[in-house]
Amino acid sequence: MDYLVAVLLPQLLHGLVFGAALGLLALGLTVIFGLLGVMNFAHGELYMMGAYAGIVVIGVTGSFWLALVAAPVIVGVLGAITEAATLRPLYRREPLYGLILTFGLALVFREGVRQIWGGDMRRILPPFTGSTPLLGMTYPDYRLFLLGASSVLLLAIWLFFTKTRAGIIVRAAVQDAEMLDGLGVNVPRVFTLTFAGSAALASLAGLLLAPVFTVYPQMGVEMILLAFIVVILGGMGSMGGSVVAAFVIGLAQSLFSLWMNPQRVAIAIFGIMIVVLIVRPRGFFGREGVLE
Amino acid sequence: MSRVFGWRSAVAFAALAALPWLPGVPKYYLLLAFDALLFGAIAMSLDLLIGYTGLVSFGHAAFYGLGAYATAILLERGILSLWACLGFAIVVVGLYAAVVSYFATARRGIYFALLTLIFAEVVFTFFRYTQTFGGSDGIQGLPDALVFPGVAIDTPARKYYLVWVYLLLAYAVCRVLVTSHFGRVLVAIRENEDRARFLGYNVQKYKMLACMISALLTGLGGAIYPIRAAFATPDLMLWTESGEFIISVMIGGLGTLVGPIIGGVFFTLLRDKVSSYVDWYFIVIGVVLVVIVLFLPKGLLGLRRALGFGRWRATA
Amino acid sequence: MARDGVVLAVEGVSKSFGALAALTDVSLSVRQGEVFSVIGPNGAGKSTLFNVVSGLYAPTAGRVSFLGREITGLAPETINRLGVAKTFQITNIFPEISVGENVSVASQSRAAVSGRLASLWRRADVEARVTELLEAFGLTAKRDELAENLSHGEQRYLEICLALATEPTLLLLDEPTAGMTPGETRGATALIKKIALARGLTLLLIEHDMSVVMGISDRIAVLHFGEKIAEGPPEQIRNDPRVIEAYLGPPEA
Repeated sequence: MDYLVAVLLPQLLHGLVFGAALGLLALGLTVIFGLLGVMNFAHGELYMMGAYAGIVVIGVTGSFWLALVAAPVIVGVLGAITEAATLRPLYRREPLYGLILTFGLALVFREGVRQIWGGDMRRILPPFTGSTPLLGMTYPDYRLFLLGASSVLLLAIWLFFTKTRAGIIVRAAVQDAEMLDGLGVNVPRVFTLTFAGSAALASLAGLLLAPVFTVYPQMGVEMILLAFIVVILGGMGSMGGSVVAAFVIGLAQSLFSLWMNPQRVAIAIFGIMIVVLIVRPRGFFGREGVLE
Repeated sequence: MSRVFGWRSAVAFAALAALPWLPGVPKYYLLLAFDALLFGAIAMSLDLLIGYTGLVSFGHAAFYGLGAYATAILLERGILSLWACLGFAIVVVGLYAAVVSYFATARRGIYFALLTLIFAEVVFTFFRYTQTFGGSDGIQGLPDALVFPGVAIDTPARKYYLVWVYLLLAYAVCRVLVTSHFGRVLVAIRENEDRARFLGYNVQKYKMLACMISALLTGLGGAIYPIRAAFATPDLMLWTESGEFIISVMIGGLGTLVGPIIGGVFFTLLRDKVSSYVDWYFIVIGVVLVVIVLFLPKGLLGLRRALGFGRWRATA
Repeated sequence: MARDGVVLAVEGVSKSFGALAALTDVSLSVRQGEVFSVIGPNGAGKSTLFNVVSGLYAPTAGRVSFLGREITGLAPETINRLGVAKTFQITNIFPEISVGENVSVASQSRAAVSGRLASLWRRADVEARVTELLEAFGLTAKRDELAENLSHGEQRYLEICLALATEPTLLLLDEPTAGMTPGETRGATALIKKIALARGLTLLLIEHDMSVVMGISDRIAVLHFGEKIAEGPPEQIRNDPRVIEAYLGPPEA
């Protein structure tokens, strides 16, 4: 019982928070993949730049909350510019070019950040430091806030995709991008805005997690690999699948780390992926169609 | 055989063979030439997948690194025969490549890139944290390998000839493949995978075979690296290494054999110059990659052809 | 050979995508050497039927057999190797290689050595067959042209060449004249019929344009909302009130 309360519950909570952040990243990847046909290798760098944008804003204003608003805007604008300048000319080309292009972008972003801010580990202090007793344990308030904030965020995204016209159009286009042409919408603008939105979400995840983790230029690389696993597990192109798989991986990651060292955790998660691929080659929610 | 080797490639290989005989070539440049030709040969092997079959592997560093570790492990234990090292590398890389290619070709397109990357990261993590294989330091201070008992590969010139032979063999293999029926089917798969299936081709089998061949050639390249460098480290398996192979292919041009060799050589020389003067080397590389994709999607050879020096042919 | 000269038997095939039933309990049998057409308005389930027969989809219920052998749910490449070739409604060729290479890749998949290791690198002599096919479809002059540079009509012919190059017993044609002018359509229809006769092929044809199939079909089946509503020789179909209703809507009351 003590073990349950003192060890397992906090770790579960941590896993949920981590899963939600992964979900934000994987959702962005899935939507961009469905819409533009590009698997965005630079997505992890957008996550990383969210944290650095936060560091800059906090340095100037001293306010974490202001950073939470400003960082997604900054990274979102950067995403929009990047999309319009580099991805737009590739719409009609083979997907392999998009893959290679975003790999190049990832290098530029990551090394650019390293040049400006250096390669050191940095920390962002949580905006509040208290803790709250809950279920016989005390939890840091910031972690509870994280859980609340990420739940609200995921709920808001869900509402956006099911209740708003813009959301419904994007969701339909993820399934079948060609239908956009028939709707009379401004396709390039939809693409750019969607890319900006996914960049903003990634940066928000980066900044929210920064007080719990550390901030360094490579932080995006580690996340993107997990996010790729999540996208594959969820079933390529399935938005709901991405979120479910994100929580599975988030929980697995934090529970495994109770019993294993980090590299064993990485290999164990990889093992999960292989087992799922053998049992369900299309992932949790992959759609039918031999030649999809 | 004339179909495999035109007179131009014969002249090129003869010129490369003469390099160590040129007066006043410093040892350093012979070793740089080793790296350049090794990189070129691996880029060419990778282009079998990217340019011919339309599959982007982000995990070639794992094949390369596994080959290097295979040699390093034997040399470290006093098994100095070159042939033993190469044989061991073929077995290790072959087993790993069989598993990777099976899973990665089960689904289409992007999926291949993601799975090769994820598999490679697992291999990297394994070697990076396994102390038996030296952890993050890798295996250092290896002795020279022996071609035959008593004949050590100890001078820069001998090391250079090792890579020369490797390049020659790899080129011959690739050349036979792309001019064969097999190569023609690979191009058809790149062009239109669905249609190839409806014409009776088992596409996954072809893709797996292409992936295995490319992986084995890359693994052999990895296996000769510790003979020149006297070490194998986990950094050889890092995903940026896979990225550098892709960059070499892109610089030289997709769907050709000579292009990626030139691309690999060019890239190695660029890295040698840029990384010693400029510490934002990766930014330069990233920008080069973006510019090539946007403006020169067929690479430097494509540029030459776009200017009117012969038509771009996908099949040769 | 199959009993009763039946080449293709579709028995009670249903296919649904989630809640949407694309095909419901469809049965038909195609006999040796005939031209059998499946018609129906857009969305009637014709393409789904083709995709089930050619192996793209496994049916939800029912079975498909070819020359007496069950092929339900086999992979497209396996079904093709048994002798069923398919053309596509939307032209589906290898755009960036030459016309000749297109056909020879297709032809090579049936070469004598195929399946053995040697076939991976040796090019069996398929030149004669490629020449003959290109000749038959009037594409000889375009042999070295990249396939993407052909006109629409020529690409439709190349599409059929690819399927024929695999030497099928049964050829599935999915709206072979899609996008052609009426004049081109007449020429193409006559050409297809002639080649089928010369090669002793059995044809299964999908069309939504009734006028195309009336002239060349031996028998016609009509699909409507995924169900077969009629089957018979052309003149019978032409006068079937249910077919007329399906195409023109219910008669005014």
